[in-house]
Amino acid sequence: MTLELDRLHKTFDDFTALDRISLKVEGSEFVCLLGPSGCGKTTLLRIIAGLLTQDSGRLLLDGQDLSAVPARERGFGIVFQSYSLFPNMTVAENIGYGMRIRKVERGKIAARVAELLELIKLPHLADRLPYQLSGGQQQRVALARAVAVDPRLILLDEPLSALDAKVRADLRVEIRELQRRLGIPTIMVTHDQEEAMMLSDRIVCMNAGRIEQVGAPQELYLKPATKFVADFMGSSNLLPTDWVRDAMPALLASRPQGADADFLACLRPEHVRLQPLASGEARVVDVTFLGNISRTRVAWKGRELMVQTAPVDGVTPGAAVAVSADAAGCGWVRA
Amino acid sequence: MSIAAVEVAERAGFRLRRSGNDHLLIAAAIALPCLALLIFFVFPLAMMLWRSLVADDGTIGFANYLALARTPGILKATLNSLTLGLATTAVCLSLGFVLAYTMTRTRVPGARIVSAVLALPMLAPSLVLGLGLIFLLGRNGLISGMLGKRIDIYGFPGLLIADVLYALPQAVLILKAALAHADARYYDAAEVMGAGRWRQFVDVTLPNVKFGLLSAGFVVFTVTITDFGNAAVIGGDYAVLATEIYNQVTGQMKFGIGAVVGLLLLAPTGIAVYIERVAAQRQFGGGAEGAVPPQLSFVPARDIPLSIVTGLATLSVLAVIGVVIYASFMRLWPYRLTFTLKHYDITLSGGYAPLWTSLLVSLFAAGLGTCLLFALVYGIRRLPSWPAKIVYLVAVMPVGVPGLVLGLSYIFAFNIAGSPLSVLYGSTLLLALCNFYHYHTQGFLTMVTGMRAVPPALEEAATCLGSGAAQVLANVIIPAMSPTLVSVFFFLFMRSMVTLSAVIFLVTPSLGIAAVSVMRLDEAGFVSQAAAFSTCIMAVVCTAALVMQLALKRLARGGRR
Repeated sequence: MTLELDRLHKTFDDFTALDRISLKVEGSEFVCLLGPSGCGKTTLLRIIAGLLTQDSGRLLLDGQDLSAVPARERGFGIVFQSYSLFPNMTVAENIGYGMRIRKVERGKIAARVAELLELIKLPHLADRLPYQLSGGQQQRVALARAVAVDPRLILLDEPLSALDAKVRADLRVEIRELQRRLGIPTIMVTHDQEEAMMLSDRIVCMNAGRIEQVGAPQELYLKPATKFVADFMGSSNLLPTDWVRDAMPALLASRPQGADADFLACLRPEHVRLQPLASGEARVVDVTFLGNISRTRVAWKGRELMVQTAPVDGVTPGAAVAVSADAAGCGWVRA
Repeated sequence: MSIAAVEVAERAGFRLRRSGNDHLLIAAAIALPCLALLIFFVFPLAMMLWRSLVADDGTIGFANYLALARTPGILKATLNSLTLGLATTAVCLSLGFVLAYTMTRTRVPGARIVSAVLALPMLAPSLVLGLGLIFLLGRNGLISGMLGKRIDIYGFPGLLIADVLYALPQAVLILKAALAHADARYYDAAEVMGAGRWRQFVDVTLPNVKFGLLSAGFVVFTVTITDFGNAAVIGGDYAVLATEIYNQVTGQMKFGIGAVVGLLLLAPTGIAVYIERVAAQRQFGGGAEGAVPPQLSFVPARDIPLSIVTGLATLSVLAVIGVVIYASFMRLWPYRLTFTLKHYDITLSGGYAPLWTSLLVSLFAAGLGTCLLFALVYGIRRLPSWPAKIVYLVAVMPVGVPGLVLGLSYIFAFNIAGSPLSVLYGSTLLLALCNFYHYHTQGFLTMVTGMRAVPPALEEAATCLGSGAAQVLANVIIPAMSPTLVSVFFFLFMRSMVTLSAVIFLVTPSLGIAAVSVMRLDEAGFVSQAAAFSTCIMAVVCTAALVMQLALKRLARGGRR
């Protein structure tokens, strides 16, 4: 399966929700649309689902233009943030709904529903009504309902956002396992970068209606292409060129060509090292102890750096330290 | 912080005068409305139950129930009422659903006009619709004349149309509320799973309004079988329970049988109220919070037929009410259609006196009612939980008692020789109380909702600053509740102006009210005068509605400042 988005454009009144988005999803990959609220990720998902129409641009599934195909004929599965199970149908009826519409015969529906209930580990809840289930259970049922008809593509619209932390972590694992097992390509919308990194084969990081960067989680984290990505994917030290030239010249090796103002060095806190040293020029501002790691703010050469290390003896507020950087962990982003 | 504040105040001696007066105020707020509820709602119904068990010869048993079965005409009237009720319900539900759906789920324009027109029947006594139908389709009807043949509108067909038009607005209100609860996410889910429009309608829309349909059905059914006005005006030979029970009681003095019928009429509303309560608990168990309203689109194949039906229904309501007003100014309907005011010179049955009586009764009902309801809602919050629950339950019960039954029960409670309460019989005060308790539930629930809007923090702040209950009431609660108080006052006033079935049993030759006058004028053959009198009632009620709108707008503006 190949889903191709070709310069999709969408505006709401004066607001540009999607600005000529092009993207290709292939094979059975798990793709996350990641970005802050209002970045257009949900709009994009709804256009793919067929619940919204784009102003211009094409949407191709295996070469076939989907623009004229209504949502109900696209054969996709979808899970929404808050459960949207039909409140008047039991769990089994909800899961079997898509098959009933496709006029699958009763016996086959029952068998498939039983199989899916087994898969989501809720076989004992077949006859419950949605309001009798917990949030996590409802989302599992919604997931089963989405995959029941062997969709060509699964769409997940912030499926975990309404759940509490523990349930969210469990369900995250289950979604990943289910997707791997079924091998159905999946597009998920989320604003949670941790969730995106855990689940995705590829992340599409979006901002203000545009794609900032597409790539594997490691790629986005270690080699962010833009300042926005560097900021959004975890925390980072963004350092101007002239400062780097003065303080950490070794990082310049990986710097692309261009004027000083064009690029910033992106140095993750865990790629900075600290050493207590009486003659050190840097001063510790404060230390946050987090058990296995410590986050330390250090003032050095007129800047403040965020450092993440294993707890180091002698690193206390006010202490003099020497700072060094792991050049391999440094990326350069457009300012 | 607040504890500290109270301590400071106490040490300074600020609290000295407080508790005695406060307790008195709160006790009065609870006791007065509860006592009134007992005397003017529970007691009459209990008396009715008792009288249904006491036979004419004084023995206790089920003699009246047996007598009812043997009373000539009752069986026929019951069957007629049931037929009429079911037919009206069927028509009203389908038509009401179409109208409500068109207004809430499509982009057919004019929803506001439809709402405004549909509000008209609720601003007039029910029999105005029967009257209007006679002007259009009766022996001297406008349409009958145009078609050149006689239409026999009296009896079942006329009653059906009049009742449908009368009950339709109430059905539409309930169904609109049910349909307004839509959540786009269900439709999105169904759409992506492959459900077409019709499937979505059957699988998502209908199940979600199931309880709305049920409750609208029961409301329409009850309104129909207990409506007195239309049955009297356009019923012709088609005897129904409401008129039959009136004849039995006021004509033949068969109180026992009347009591039995009254009790039987409690059944359908009882069921309706029960279903509504269940629905309230069941329907939104899934968490309707954050519901996304569906995107409305224009679907010609669906919307064009819908708008035609909606348009026709709206026009019918408008025509039937409009013709009453129009005819009231015409010299000789339908032969000499020239303007005149002569029908407004009403001499029969006390002239305009009943209108003034109605006005007085309605002002009483609204004023007294608003005060009692406010006190009740204010007091109920200070009761411990289980007595509060009981009071709440009794306070919402009147909605399950049709006006006809309540009016009837007042006879058993207040028309007893020698009882101290009988001094009330035949007074405007009793009429006012009857009207108030008839609409007690709606007023009470509005009041409860309004009380929820009072910010508790503000109340506590005022208390900590040293205000007693009276000051909190004057400075915090009443200002926050003034829109509610205005709404409840005018609601009671307007209902009280037009209602007929509750008070028909309480009017006496010397104490007439407006809606009864219309009926008497019509019975006497002065149809144009009946129309003129109806127009006056509608004018009063419409004025009240306008004043209420203005007052609410003013309060809203004041609140924002």
